[in-house]
Amino acid sequence: MEWIGLLNYALFMGIFIGIYALLALGLNIQWGFAGLFNAGIAGFFAVGAYTSAILTSAPADGRIGGYDLPFVIGWIAAMVAAAAIAWPIGKICLRFRSDYLAIATIGVAEIIRLVIKSEETLTNSARGIAGLPRPFGEWPYVESQAAFLVLVAAIVLVVYLLVERQFNSPWGRMMRAIRDNELAARAMGKDVEYRRLEAFIFGAAIMGLGGALFAHFNRSITPEAIDPMVATFLVWIMLILGGSGNNRGAILGAAVVWTIWSVSEIATDQLPHEYAVKAKYIRLFLIGLLLQLVLRFRSEGLLPEPLRGDQGNSGIDRERSVQS
Amino acid sequence: MAALLSMDSLTGGYGDADILHSVSLHVLDREIVVIVGPNGAGKSTAMKAVFGLLRIRGGSTTFDGDNITGWSPNRIVQRGICYVPQVDNIFREMTIHENLEMGAFLKKGDLTAAYDRVYELFPDLKERRKVLAGSLSGGQRQMVAMGRALMLDPKLLLLDEPTAGLSPKYMEQIFQICRDVRDTGVAILLVEQHAKQALAFADRGYVLAAGQNRHEGTGAELLSNREIAEMFLGG
Amino acid sequence: MGLLEFINFYLIPGIVLGSIYALGAVGITLIFAILRYAHLAHGDLATLGAFIALAIVTSAGISPLAALPFAIVATAVVAVGIDKVFYEHLRERPKIITVIASLGIALMIRAVVQVIWGVDSESYVRGISRPDVYFGLRIRDREIFTVLAMLGLVGALYVFLKQSKWGKAMRAMSDNPNLALLSGIDNRVVIMLTWIIAGGLCAAAGVFLGINTEIKSMMGWHMLLPMFAAAILGGVGRVEGAVLGGLIVGITEELSVLILPGEYKAAMAFVILLFMLLVRPTGILRGKVL
Repeated sequence: MEWIGLLNYALFMGIFIGIYALLALGLNIQWGFAGLFNAGIAGFFAVGAYTSAILTSAPADGRIGGYDLPFVIGWIAAMVAAAAIAWPIGKICLRFRSDYLAIATIGVAEIIRLVIKSEETLTNSARGIAGLPRPFGEWPYVESQAAFLVLVAAIVLVVYLLVERQFNSPWGRMMRAIRDNELAARAMGKDVEYRRLEAFIFGAAIMGLGGALFAHFNRSITPEAIDPMVATFLVWIMLILGGSGNNRGAILGAAVVWTIWSVSEIATDQLPHEYAVKAKYIRLFLIGLLLQLVLRFRSEGLLPEPLRGDQGNSGIDRERSVQS
Repeated sequence: MAALLSMDSLTGGYGDADILHSVSLHVLDREIVVIVGPNGAGKSTAMKAVFGLLRIRGGSTTFDGDNITGWSPNRIVQRGICYVPQVDNIFREMTIHENLEMGAFLKKGDLTAAYDRVYELFPDLKERRKVLAGSLSGGQRQMVAMGRALMLDPKLLLLDEPTAGLSPKYMEQIFQICRDVRDTGVAILLVEQHAKQALAFADRGYVLAAGQNRHEGTGAELLSNREIAEMFLGG
Repeated sequence: MGLLEFINFYLIPGIVLGSIYALGAVGITLIFAILRYAHLAHGDLATLGAFIALAIVTSAGISPLAALPFAIVATAVVAVGIDKVFYEHLRERPKIITVIASLGIALMIRAVVQVIWGVDSESYVRGISRPDVYFGLRIRDREIFTVLAMLGLVGALYVFLKQSKWGKAMRAMSDNPNLALLSGIDNRVVIMLTWIIAGGLCAAAGVFLGINTEIKSMMGWHMLLPMFAAAILGGVGRVEGAVLGGLIVGITEELSVLILPGEYKAAMAFVILLFMLLVRPTGILRGKVL
């Protein structure tokens, strides 16, 4: 491969790492800081992608939307829409142990997938929505990619700083208190469910933003663009490997896992077709195995949660809230 | 007479911090011994220490000639000590009879004699043997809990606040059952909040405070001690 | 719509589908109650059971019903193995860690199925099965077998839990784990029994779904939500509740096409789940809430 091809590939990979880093940061708010199990990340991602696509695409016959709005409005709307889906789910499920939220979010993602596949007037079904405006899209190819990467990186940085600031604020201390000892937090008069709902909605909004970035980067979104189970799972392994509770860990995990995932895909694509298909599933198996190994042998991840002075222990193993 | 159970200068706690500081006590054969003291004195902790639920960092416990310090609860049960926790001490969704059966889980062979013995002590339970334990009143639940613990024919029964939350009428009934159980040859070590009534009924008592021995003696002796009366018993 | 039409096209398919859900939901409810976590790999374990049966059917040339006992045993062994290799080490950790692990196991099982058998739809027998008509009721043999097998398997489990010493020990562990341990009940045996039962029932659910529809790598994952909805609807820890819940979810899904587009059949389980969590999280038969 000549250098320009490598550069293109690196830019492409960087953009994807940035998008996944957003998803991992969103999950970190939910799981790392509030102990909430979201197994429907792909659903919130898809809601964001489609919301922005509907608002910013050009008008088309037989389809709601196509308002030709600027992408910034689309991206804000993507966050709002993902948050709006998260709200009722959180409202119902956050009273219980996180197992229930896990099941419910699997259901949400499934229903969102059904809606995308079958509501032609909204999502154009299987054909998806194309012709989305892409920031710097009119620039020459390499420059355009590079500029988009800078934009994604800037967004990741802003989100990182915002989330980091939030975690070090009294709000963050309260979240950790609730996560590490729910009963004590309740006894101190904290509104546990409301705080959790905030974290769940906040995280979902960031996932929606990730979806919008993805759609605009590709200039289109289709139901096949993303495999829900694989996407959700990749984000989980990114956060757990990187270090749940640590925002830098979330970003590092996104970089490491996406690099492994995408380089191994290139490697296996060299195989004859018959084996290449099987290789995809073997990669999935190995990534599942990687999760098991991390959970067992290094559950605090590559970058453990920093001790913030108000807590005694770190990593994934704090006594999570238990209601019985 | 050699003590059935003797705890010798025991020090330990749940995590790294010690709750018991060199606590000593003993129980003779067929004796009812009560541990009293203010809240947080380490009463229940002392009892859990006997049953192997504590991290021990000093001292030893001897039972019936064996040094049982550091034994697992399972092994202690088989050796002849049964423990009735203060809360969650029954299987609510199982019948009374099934509760007793679970109590005898480790016992091989015919259980008829063990059932008969428990039902003789608690005739109320026999009539309701098919009733779910969770539907019983507080006093009856305590009977099920004690019955479950007696199924293995222990030599020593540990009761953690058996009368907590019960009306005076039931309290008296539980104490009477304790005497009946003792009369079948079982020694009893119990922890009590109702110090006055418990000391009046027990053979001997220990007063613990801040995880240490404070006083010991017969019930009558302790009850007549002015310091105890003022400090722990509210006059 | 006439009564017969209602029964033939909605009620009977609903009961059959519900019986399949019930088989899975019973395992989910036992794991939820005894091990105290939501097992997200349950659907994919059912997929594995269905494909193991397919392998036996194609290699030995026997009927899927004859292959069922072997698939049950094999899947039970796999379930115990997964527990030993992956879940056992997480037992002292917060339960939610095992839920995460089980999501990974779901992916791993499915990947194994996809590598060995591919992603295309398969079926146990070729050709169309025509229903027999009894007094105007159109019922296929396979539908009768499905319901009877569910009743037989769950009935046997029920008797085991009520009558046998270890069945009672499982109930005791579900009821009050600390007291069960104080009574000398061996946790490891109870956990192994739970996986044998849950794994075996998973295989039955997968095989019967395969007999009545088709066998494909995503079949189990799509059953996961209905199975959980059934377990929670019936009351967590209640075997008879899981059966009741399974039947209600199955029938509701079949009836939903009367008012909703067919594509949204799968959404009914989700609606039932949220509704129960909202109004009565203990379920119809008052189960546990974790």
